[in-house]
Amino acid sequence: MKTIINEADPSVQKDVKIKSRDVNVYYGQNHAIKHLDIDIQANTVTAFIGPSGCGKSTFLRCLNRMNDTIDVAKVTGEILLDEKDIYDRDVDPVQLRAKVGMVFQKPNPFPKSIYDNIAYGPRIHGLVSNKSELDEVVESCLKRAALWDEVKDRLESPGTGLSGGQQQRLCIARAIATAPQVLLMDEPCSALDPIATEQIEELIHELRQDYSVVIVTHSMQQAGRVSQKTAFFHLGDLVEVGDTDRIFTSPIEERTQNYVTGRIG
Amino acid sequence: MAIAHIVRKFDEELDRIESLLLEMGGLVESQIQKSVMAVTGQDADAIEEIFIAENRVNALEREIDEETVRLLALRHPMANDLRAAISAMKVANDLERIGDYAKSMARRALSISDETAVLNRPLESLSRMSEVVESMLKDVLDAYVARDLEKAHAVWARDDTVDSMYTALFREMLTYMMENPANISAGTHLMFVAKNLERTGDHVTNIAEQIHFLVTGDMMERAMDATQHLGGQDG
Repeated sequence: MKTIINEADPSVQKDVKIKSRDVNVYYGQNHAIKHLDIDIQANTVTAFIGPSGCGKSTFLRCLNRMNDTIDVAKVTGEILLDEKDIYDRDVDPVQLRAKVGMVFQKPNPFPKSIYDNIAYGPRIHGLVSNKSELDEVVESCLKRAALWDEVKDRLESPGTGLSGGQQQRLCIARAIATAPQVLLMDEPCSALDPIATEQIEELIHELRQDYSVVIVTHSMQQAGRVSQKTAFFHLGDLVEVGDTDRIFTSPIEERTQNYVTGRIG
Repeated sequence: MAIAHIVRKFDEELDRIESLLLEMGGLVESQIQKSVMAVTGQDADAIEEIFIAENRVNALEREIDEETVRLLALRHPMANDLRAAISAMKVANDLERIGDYAKSMARRALSISDETAVLNRPLESLSRMSEVVESMLKDVLDAYVARDLEKAHAVWARDDTVDSMYTALFREMLTYMMENPANISAGTHLMFVAKNLERTGDHVTNIAEQIHFLVTGDMMERAMDATQHLGGQDG
């Protein structure tokens, strides 16, 4: 029975992008993530759901070593990106974060122009050699983030002057400017209105063609709409992972069922 | 089911749909029983009651549909709640059809009340067939309430008995009609009654399949194809 609920089973693997094995996270005495095994597939949107404090954001932040910046946080176990452990000593977290981009709950554009928000990453990572290449990157990222038409005539205005939904799309454009392979999104729509939310969701759908997307969301409807795989976390355990439609129509674990039906919070 | 929803109103709405469905089930159960009694001449007064119940059954089906659509739109039920909502609509639809068969049998009872005396023997077969169908209907409703998979599977399996009883009755009736052409009119009516009972069995079977989906999340036919035999060993 257990083998079905965690599809980290070799027989069902296909193009696994990120593989975690026996990952534990401690914040001081608090054991926030317990022995977590999961396979995250390429070109797939994986949603992490679960009540507040269940560890979903903590685990998401492990995937690009954002927990490194927290002194009391300790991560053990293996997280392999394309079979390479991202916690190995020779891995530079800055380089890693270029490959594994992140979008946060609250849009956080740099206090710079729209253009510079996108150009920043490619510049510091040396991904472009001249201005016209940079112009191309900025344009293509804004287009892929479905923002180009709205901002093409004011690329020099500050990014912070955009609406919330536009700012979030700007942050997505910024995240994809470093040509990442994985995009992590931590409740990317929770500060947005329904229309902006739909635009981001449509964008996530498009982004899946090129990236593996992992999204933490409090909205189960959103998880259902955007993801192909859903993982349910509870009290630091990964309770169940599976095809999204199965998780929302016939979950195997009782805890999953109680959560998705609104019986435990 | 033991744990309540955080939003209590959600439980109340689900409970309401369930209780509408049970009221409908109870009505349809007695409709079938009464219509067979009317046909076999045991209760000629029942016909009127069947027609009245039919209106209530139709109204209940509409109400269940409306309540379920509302629940889907406003509560976004998931997992077993979602399956309960979908199942309620489908089961209500099957029950409504069974109610139609009861009404159709009651109509035939009106036409054949004078002529059945000569057809005592086939009437006995018809009664036996209806006993099986009635017990299937009762059991399937019990299985629905209790979410009892084993009982639902058992009901599902009993439909074969109904089908063979129908075939036997058909032959029997044919014999009587060939023997004496005076039996043809009543015999034809009775054959339609038997057909209605047989169809009732099919709808009961649908409900059993719906219970399988409700409990397991799998479509029963697919599960049956996979195992090639009846379940009962699930879980």
